[in-house]
Amino acid sequence: MGKKLFRYSEENKDKFLESDNITFNDGSVVTPEEIWDYLTVEGPVKYPGTYEINLSQGNRDSRDETLSTSLKTHYLSLTFSARMEKAKESGKTIAFIQGGQAVDPYTAADTIALRPFLVGQWYHGREHGNDIYKSVLRRKQSKESAFHDMSFEACQTGGYEHVQVGDLPIDVIAPYTVLRCSDVSYGVEAHRHGPNKDVKLINVDYPMRHQADKPWAIEYFAQNLRKLVKTLDEVRGKTTTEYDLLRAIKLHNEGRRLGNELADLWWSTDIPPTNSDDRNSLVALANLDMHGDVQASLSVLKEAKNIIAERVKNGVKGHAVTDNPKRLFILGSCVGINESRSEDAGAIVVGKDDQWSHCTSIVEEEGDPYYNLAKATLEYPYEQSIEKRAQWTIEQIKKSRADGVIFIHNWGCNTQAAISRPIVDFIKRETGIPTYIHERDLHGLRDEQEQNRVNAFIEML
Amino acid sequence: MSISGNYFAGVDVGSLAAKSVILKDGEIFATGLVPSGVNSVESGLNALNLALETAGLQKEDLTYIVGTGYGRVSAPYANKAVTEITCHAKGTNYLHPSVRTIIDMGGQDCKAIRIDQDGAVVDFAMNDKCAAGTGRFLEVMAGVFKVKLEDLGAIALSATDTVPMSSTCTVFAESETISLVARGEKPENILNGIHHSIANRIAGLFSRVGIESDVFFSGGVAKNSGMKAAIEQALKVTIVKPEIDPQLIGALGAAVIARNFSKKEGLWA
Repeated sequence: MGKKLFRYSEENKDKFLESDNITFNDGSVVTPEEIWDYLTVEGPVKYPGTYEINLSQGNRDSRDETLSTSLKTHYLSLTFSARMEKAKESGKTIAFIQGGQAVDPYTAADTIALRPFLVGQWYHGREHGNDIYKSVLRRKQSKESAFHDMSFEACQTGGYEHVQVGDLPIDVIAPYTVLRCSDVSYGVEAHRHGPNKDVKLINVDYPMRHQADKPWAIEYFAQNLRKLVKTLDEVRGKTTTEYDLLRAIKLHNEGRRLGNELADLWWSTDIPPTNSDDRNSLVALANLDMHGDVQASLSVLKEAKNIIAERVKNGVKGHAVTDNPKRLFILGSCVGINESRSEDAGAIVVGKDDQWSHCTSIVEEEGDPYYNLAKATLEYPYEQSIEKRAQWTIEQIKKSRADGVIFIHNWGCNTQAAISRPIVDFIKRETGIPTYIHERDLHGLRDEQEQNRVNAFIEML
Repeated sequence: MSISGNYFAGVDVGSLAAKSVILKDGEIFATGLVPSGVNSVESGLNALNLALETAGLQKEDLTYIVGTGYGRVSAPYANKAVTEITCHAKGTNYLHPSVRTIIDMGGQDCKAIRIDQDGAVVDFAMNDKCAAGTGRFLEVMAGVFKVKLEDLGAIALSATDTVPMSSTCTVFAESETISLVARGEKPENILNGIHHSIANRIAGLFSRVGIESDVFFSGGVAKNSGMKAAIEQALKVTIVKPEIDPQLIGALGAAVIARNFSKKEGLWA
């Protein structure tokens, strides 16, 4: 029996064609017409799973087709794997990163930085024609291989696995040894002894125990960032100057500022101007790393900010958002909830803490760029003590007017598991809003048990 | 609490049993309880049809149906789906308005639920990945001792001693039990230890949500007298005696919610 697939409606085409182009790092441009053709002709053939109408996977039978940037983020996701192949063919350096990094140094060194999720997206995007079931099965197979080669007690092992077995031509592995990813050690250790151990590895040593106010710690971390850039330069055979880093910081600051403005606009109204999925995919652009192309992310982000401003001004409600939804704030590393199913249950996701923490840290542009970047990175609210992180989270919760907080930690994400309880207790004590903690199983699939708990929490709210 | 009006049904499809309750004029009119099969749609329909048959009704006579339990997402016969946490809260409140704390032990999970005077959930906690503390765990243990599941509680209550069970995993607990038998421990004392070890895990859930009297015990495991006694001891509480089969509480709550939804949607005034 054929699967029911979502199709973009022709009635929105003309309006979409009036929207902005996407400009890429290499200066190439893709027009709305080309995007439309891809989304309506090539995309459904290559990636039918992303068009499949399957509630349990969170797909809807309709999307916000009047939000042009929603179509563009969809386009960037679908073309990601092919773009990475093309970048590799043209000699671009690609790094696998982990540990909540800002990618400014990689932009400076003309390197594409991929988080674990994106490494998986590259690999899985290579195979075409899969429905949702086959895509999930393929991801499970990767995870099973990672259990074999590394550990079943770590969460983000898929990326290392693809490097280990030589699935992807990654040039360098560069994790921050930061507490948010306690499983970094599993991957690094396995890589050192693995069959593909010649792939360059650099550990960027992040001073732990909350040293943000100590000049020695900032200087030490700045030295580590210099080492990182030097390693990238060795791989690509070119030199990155301090001016390159300053330019990258300015570029990323622009993304961070736009992200903050967009989020503030979104939060400024009682009527959510987009649904959760669209909000998250737009705010996530602010770090400029989500689609493996800094300029492409920036161009969509600029367009998105203007659209959100217009929607807020005109009181437009996001697609499929219920009246007076319960507003949820999600905490934890590399997690999220099934947004469309949670919306069907009467909620909306108004924020997340994880990478949002980077966006709120603007890097100083005067002085030594390495020192400035090190200082800002050490000040990430997400990496502070429990009390400081909780205080910052409370500020975000108040700004977003959240009704409830869900803290999710992946199995194997030991630090987040350990601190989830004191953080939500602090939030509950200070704000009085309900909280819930959930441990997610290894595959990260949005399964029924998890949705059951989320729905119960929404019903409780 | 009195409800008047038409017929409302709740269907609770759990991992081990499917249950149904039909309300009429504020009273429980009929119930159905069948074992769950692999097809949750069929299981729910079987439970509903059993209740309809008992009531002498047709499905068309029902004004509104609410599905709950893990089978609720596959319940095309239901007008709406609600989680079993909310349903256990409403069902308990319907029967016992003074209850503020619920322990629900089903086939595959265990819940600690705090509710207010209206039966609204105030807080809840659930076991996440582990089968220990669920009906499935007791099923495994009944298999080890080759006794009927429904006899486990009475056997545990006949114990003269409590043999502590240290394993947290169902699989390890099974092998630990076999070791204890080989060491010469009496089955009833081991079973008593098993019941107390489950009760201690449940007590851990309440450290997150707190306990307020009165306390109620719902779900299929609530029929186990040994478990009830062990929980009373672990939580230092007296559990309210259920007015109906505690396994039906979720379906009852779903029926109460069906009545509320139908009123809200103008199907019944």
